[in-house]
Amino acid sequence: MLKESDILKIVKEDMLRILGERKEKTPLGSIETGIKVFSSFVSEAIKCLKEEGLIRVEEKFVKLTQIGRDKAKDILRKHLILENYFKKTSNEKIAHRKAHILEHYISEEVIKNIKKICTLKEKGISLTKLKLHKESLIADITTPNSELFERMVSMGIFPGEEINITNKISNGVVVKIKNKKFALGKDIAKEIKVIK
Amino acid sequence: MRKLKILLIGQPNVGKSSLLNGLIGSRVIVSNYPGTTVEVIQAEKIFNNTKIKFVDTPGIYSISDRSEEEKVTEKALFEEKVDEAIVVADATSLERSLYMALQILEAEIPTVIALNFVREAEKKGIKIDSKKLAKLLNIPVMLINPLTKRGINELVDIISRIKKRKGRSFKIKYDDHIEEAINKISSQIKETSIPTRFIALRVLEEDEDFYKYLKDKRVIEEVKESLAEHPKVAENVSITRYGTASFIAERITKIVPLEKRLQPYGSLRLQEKIDDILFRKIWGSFITGLFILTIFGTLLYLGNFIQNILMDLTESFLSFFGTAEHSITAMILVQGLTGLTAGISVALPYVFLFYLFLGSLEDIGLLSRFIVNAERFLKKLGLSGKSFIPLALGLGCSVPAIRATRILSSKKEQFHTASLFAFTPCSSRIAIIMGIVGFYGGIKLAFSVFATLFVAGLIWAFFIKKIVHIKSKYLLLELPPYRKPLIKNILAKSWIRMKDFVYIVIPLLILGGIACGILNVTGFSKYIVEPLLPITTWLGLPAMTIIPLVFGFLQRDLTGAMLLSVLGSKISLAMTPLQIYTFGIASTIGIPCIIALGMLIKEFGFKKAIVLTITSIVYGLLFAGLVWRIVSLF
Repeated sequence: MLKESDILKIVKEDMLRILGERKEKTPLGSIETGIKVFSSFVSEAIKCLKEEGLIRVEEKFVKLTQIGRDKAKDILRKHLILENYFKKTSNEKIAHRKAHILEHYISEEVIKNIKKICTLKEKGISLTKLKLHKESLIADITTPNSELFERMVSMGIFPGEEINITNKISNGVVVKIKNKKFALGKDIAKEIKVIK
Repeated sequence: MRKLKILLIGQPNVGKSSLLNGLIGSRVIVSNYPGTTVEVIQAEKIFNNTKIKFVDTPGIYSISDRSEEEKVTEKALFEEKVDEAIVVADATSLERSLYMALQILEAEIPTVIALNFVREAEKKGIKIDSKKLAKLLNIPVMLINPLTKRGINELVDIISRIKKRKGRSFKIKYDDHIEEAINKISSQIKETSIPTRFIALRVLEEDEDFYKYLKDKRVIEEVKESLAEHPKVAENVSITRYGTASFIAERITKIVPLEKRLQPYGSLRLQEKIDDILFRKIWGSFITGLFILTIFGTLLYLGNFIQNILMDLTESFLSFFGTAEHSITAMILVQGLTGLTAGISVALPYVFLFYLFLGSLEDIGLLSRFIVNAERFLKKLGLSGKSFIPLALGLGCSVPAIRATRILSSKKEQFHTASLFAFTPCSSRIAIIMGIVGFYGGIKLAFSVFATLFVAGLIWAFFIKKIVHIKSKYLLLELPPYRKPLIKNILAKSWIRMKDFVYIVIPLLILGGIACGILNVTGFSKYIVEPLLPITTWLGLPAMTIIPLVFGFLQRDLTGAMLLSVLGSKISLAMTPLQIYTFGIASTIGIPCIIALGMLIKEFGFKKAIVLTITSIVYGLLFAGLVWRIVSLF
C-alpha cells in the first residue's frame, strides 16, 4: 500500500487540478466523486489545503486562492503535457488515465523534455538517421516487443532522456544516455525515435 | 547462533563483487549456487554472533526481464528464504538503480540501498541527499565505497539489526485501472510465500512463469478485457515504475555546476579516444581479432611448455621405479599419467589463464567492446556477440567451454554454440594437427586441415541456423567505463570458474587414459578393426587407423601415440600425404571426447547430447571422406 502521506499528496494535487479545471465555485460533493478515494482522505486533504492557504471553503463550496490557482496551473500543465504525450501512443481516454497517474511521480526534467517533444509536430526520426555527436531527445520507443521495451526502460533508455551518438559501428550505434554508454544493434536503433 | 541470508542485487558493473569482497574480507569462502545456469557466488562470515551468508547475484537491470540472469536472481529471491536484499545503487545513474529497488520492494523483501560511486557522481556535479532518500522510501540507505571500505561496517550493522526495523516501505501506485486489475488477480492467487501483489504485477507484465500461481488462468483473459483502455499494460507498468524512480531521483538529487578545474576532461577524453579506436569500422575488428589471437598464442605456448615439462617428469618418474617398459601395469600407468598431464596442462594455461585474461578484460571494460565487435560476424551464424567467449575457450578445451555457454541467454543458443565445438579445435586437437599432420605431412597440410575444419564448421552453423530457428538476439549492451581491475576479484572469479574442471575433468581424463591402456593391453582394440572396415574404406585410410580414431574418443591426447603404435614410427611411409590429411580431419571433427559428451549430457540432457555427438561425428566422417575424394579428382 501507499503511505498515507502519499495518498494525501495525490489527493491534494488531484483536488487542485479539478478545481483549476472548473469555474469559480465547486461543490464539495463533485470533488469527492471526481477523486474516487475514501472521503476521509478528501476531508483531510481539504483541511491541509486550507491550512496551506491554497483554498477557501464556503459552506458546501470550495474556491481556489491566488496561490492555489498558480499551483493548480502547474499541476494542470504537467497533466496536459503528459496527456498530450500519451495521445501519440494511445487513444484519448487512455492518455488521460496515463497522465493522471504519472503527473504525481515524474521529474521536472522529463516533463520539460516531454514538453519539447510535444511542441514538435513530427514524431521524430529514427536513431539510425541521427548524425554523430548531436544532442537530441528520445521521443518514443516504438518496439512492439514489451519484453524488450521493459529491458530498455530498466536500462534507462526512456522517452524524454537526452541521447547522443558517440560512434557508428557497422552493426549499429554506440550512444550515450545520462553518462552511460550503450551499444545498440541496428534493429533496436530503428525503434528509437529521436528529435533534435 | 543467528543466521541471516542476504542477497546482493545490482546492475552489471555497479560494484557488487567489490562490495562482497569488502564485506567478507580476505577469507573468502566462495561456492557456486547449486543448480543454476549463471554463476552465483555465496560467501559466509560471522559478525558479532550472527552468521551472515551473502549471495552475489548476476548483474541485472530489472527482475521483470526474462533472461537467464534474471531467472537466477528470481530463484535466489524466492526459492529459499531471503532475510534481506542489498541493492547496490549507482549514484551516477540513480533512476535505474531505483527502478530495481522499487521492484524488490514490490516483492516485499526488506531492502537496504548501498549507494556506490558517490565520489564519481560528485565529480560530475551530482549531489545526492541520501537521508531524504531513506525517508522517502522508508528503508536504510548507506553511502559506500568498497575500495576505501567506507560505510562497510555501518552496512553490516544495519543488516544485522534487520528484525528491529519497522514501518511500511514505499510502494508504487499504478493507474487506478491497473490497481483494479492487480486486486482482481490477487484474489485468484494460490497459497504461496511470494507476495500476491508482486505475482499480480508479474502476470500483468506477461511473465508466463508466474501463471502457475493462479488458481484459474481465465482471470488473465478477464482482466485483459477489463483493461481495454490499456492495450499495452506491461509497458504502462514499466513506464510508471521508471517515472516513479525518476521522480524520486529528482527529488533527492541536486546538480551543482562544476568548477572548471574540477572538470574531469583528461580521463574522459582518454576513454572516448579508446572507444573511437575500438569502434572504428575495420580497425575495431582487427584489434579485437589481434587481441584474441595474442592471448590465444600465449596460452598455446604456455600449454605446450607445461605439457613438455610434465611429460618429462612422468617419464623420469616411471624410469625411477625401474618398471619394465612393456609390463602391463606400466602401460596402463603411462596412459593414466598421460591423462593427468594432459589435464594439468589444459587446466593451468587454457582454463585458469584464459579466465584470468577474460576476468581482466571484463573488469577493465574491454570485454563488452569486444563482444560488440564480434557480434558483427557471429550474427551471421545466428549467434550473439557473447558466444565468442565460449568459442574462444573452446580453442583450449571443449569441456569448460560447453559449460561456459551458460552465459548465453537462451537454451537454444547455448546448444547452437555448444554444437560448434565439434569444429573448434581444442588444444589436444591442435596438438594432433600440428604434431601428426604438420610433423609428417608438412605445415601446409596442417593449415589445410584447419581451413577444412573452418569450412565444415561454417556449413554446419548455417545449417543449424536454418533448422533451429533461433530468435535473432538484438544487440543491447551497456559499455561500462574503463576501470582499473581488482586483481583479487579476478583471481577469485577465475578459480571458481576453473574448479569444475579440476575436480571433474582431470579425474575423467585419467580414467579415460587408463581405459585406453587396458583396451590396448588386453588386445581388445583389434576386434574393432574388422567390423568398422567400412569407415576406414570410406576414408581411404589403412584399416588399423580405426584404433586411434575410436579410442581417441576416450582420451583425445592419446590419438597421436596410438597412431604411432599401430602404424609404427614411419607414418610418412605408411600413409600418403592425402591420407595423413584425411586422418587429421577425421580425428578432429565431431564432438571431441567422452568427457565433452558427459558435459553435454549434464547441460542439455541425454537425448540432445547423444544426437549431437553422433550427428557431428557422422557429419565429420562424411565430410572427411568427401573432401579427399574431391581433392583426388584434381
